[in-house]
Amino acid sequence: MSLLDIFMIAVRVAFSAFIPLCFIAVCVWMERRGAGFFQDRAGPNRAAIYGFRAAGLVQNAADGIKLFFKEDMISDHIKHKFFFVMAPFIVFFCAIISFAVVPFADTLVLGGRGYVMQGIPMDIGILWFLAVTGFSVYGIILAGWSSANKFGLLGSLRSAAQVISYEIPMGLALVSMLIVYGTVNLSEMAQYQGQLLFGFIPMWGAFLQPVSLMIFVIAAFAECNRTPFDLAEGESELVAGFHVEYSAMKFAVFFMGEYVAMFASSAIIITLFFGGYQIPFLNTQALITFAKPVAFFMMIGLPIGMYYFAGWIRRNNVSHYPRENDPRVTEANVYIKCFWGLVVIIELLLIGILICQSGGSAAHVFVALLQICTFLVKVTMMIFVYIWVRWTLPRFRYDQLQKLGWQMLLPLALLNIFITSAVVIALS
Amino acid sequence: MFAEVLFIAFAALSILGAIGLILFRHPMKGAMSLIVTMISLAGLYALLSAELIFVLQLIVYAGAIMSLIIFIIMFLNIQDNDLPIEEGRYLYLAGGIAVIIPIACFMIKVVKSIPAHQATIVGNGFGGVKEVGLVLFQDWLLPFEIVSLLLLVALIGAVVLAGKRRLLK
Repeated sequence: MSLLDIFMIAVRVAFSAFIPLCFIAVCVWMERRGAGFFQDRAGPNRAAIYGFRAAGLVQNAADGIKLFFKEDMISDHIKHKFFFVMAPFIVFFCAIISFAVVPFADTLVLGGRGYVMQGIPMDIGILWFLAVTGFSVYGIILAGWSSANKFGLLGSLRSAAQVISYEIPMGLALVSMLIVYGTVNLSEMAQYQGQLLFGFIPMWGAFLQPVSLMIFVIAAFAECNRTPFDLAEGESELVAGFHVEYSAMKFAVFFMGEYVAMFASSAIIITLFFGGYQIPFLNTQALITFAKPVAFFMMIGLPIGMYYFAGWIRRNNVSHYPRENDPRVTEANVYIKCFWGLVVIIELLLIGILICQSGGSAAHVFVALLQICTFLVKVTMMIFVYIWVRWTLPRFRYDQLQKLGWQMLLPLALLNIFITSAVVIALS
Repeated sequence: MFAEVLFIAFAALSILGAIGLILFRHPMKGAMSLIVTMISLAGLYALLSAELIFVLQLIVYAGAIMSLIIFIIMFLNIQDNDLPIEEGRYLYLAGGIAVIIPIACFMIKVVKSIPAHQATIVGNGFGGVKEVGLVLFQDWLLPFEIVSLLLLVALIGAVVLAGKRRLLK
């Protein structure tokens, strides 16, 4: 193994381990701002460091510190302390490693060798995701059961029944996707989606299999235990469900696990149905060939976008009443300077791409970075859909939930498999 | 070398899990140790480069079946004082071990007397998803289809039966 090999392994393991962790902060922030937006209020805007509020991101740090320094207590009635402590870590760990098989860029070719950009380059891809998300049920069951508490037990009963029953439509929706793609490897699926349908539509899973997309997204919402499927927590009826006895960092680990699971399942939805890291109409080969024009257009586009972004920050980050030496205006100016600095750095990198020879390894790295950014932007948009649904729809009743899973999604998924296989056989 | 260390670790874990399943009094602890055994078995399959069996072991045994078992144990909500008092369970255990040891010795002897084969991992993607699929759909198509139809009938039948009982009530 050369030094480059070791470096690439380190890069991709680090990416697939740390990006979900970083996205916890982004998700929590988006959730709060999104909730504020949907309920027509401001959201978190008080926590600040020297007057810098970072659009509410500082609130996350404040919450983190609060949870970290809270008293971590286990009440005396809990007999199975080992399971009680282990449960949140099972949930968190399963959520993190379920992201390990998601490709975040196309195979990077450096010095004649290809590097698969996944945390663990495995062929079994989507099956790994199914296996690992199945394990997170254990965390929820153990948490509710070892709490020795009626609310906890009810919550974990509901949650386990829900996750087990929604795994079936999810698996069946996947089967029809596997028939279309002809592989279980997520990298190959993403490469397949770089093609064009009829020459002008990107061949994304969403266009090929809209029914499967619908079933999979509903099942993924249910697996994440989020509203409208949050019967396990059901704050108004079960207090907090399976984590009612948890405090301090053990609660925080549950909380973070939920957001990591949301990130990982958004990443899977993106990879299966929305082209993964593919930029529409520009597959990897085209991007490498046209690396210089793309870099050139980005060089022009970035400052223009930044100009309008700066204007937006300046308009929105002001006090709502006249103030002398408005501190928010100074705050906004600092933000704008930071962002301009970032733009200048990116511009310098882009100039570097323009100078380098075309088709070389610099172009390959540039394309990989571009695809990583595309992937993260798409995942962020999918996370926004999660938040959107959470703050729009009310909670299901329990019998409605089971009816939806077993009597609507399951037959629909089976029908979809039959129709898809008939079409695939007719076309081939 | 690395593979051998992994093999020893997984083998030890799976045996420890099995011992735990027998020795723990509380059913939840027993079930959790069985999960450890299942996962370490999956690890052993992965070491044999049988990818598909590895992930099926994780999904079906360690995932689906065990979560149903644990779900039922949680549902029954067994407390320590619900469990029967087992007097002389160590006596039975010692008896069992005494019976098994000669059989185990015999088995070890049988395994050792098998003519020595160099244990190598079969190459060419043996055990991958595609290879197993090709074998299933070329050489074993009819049995495979019959079994899959049977499972489909069982799945639909379960849903129909569950729905019917609710209507009658």
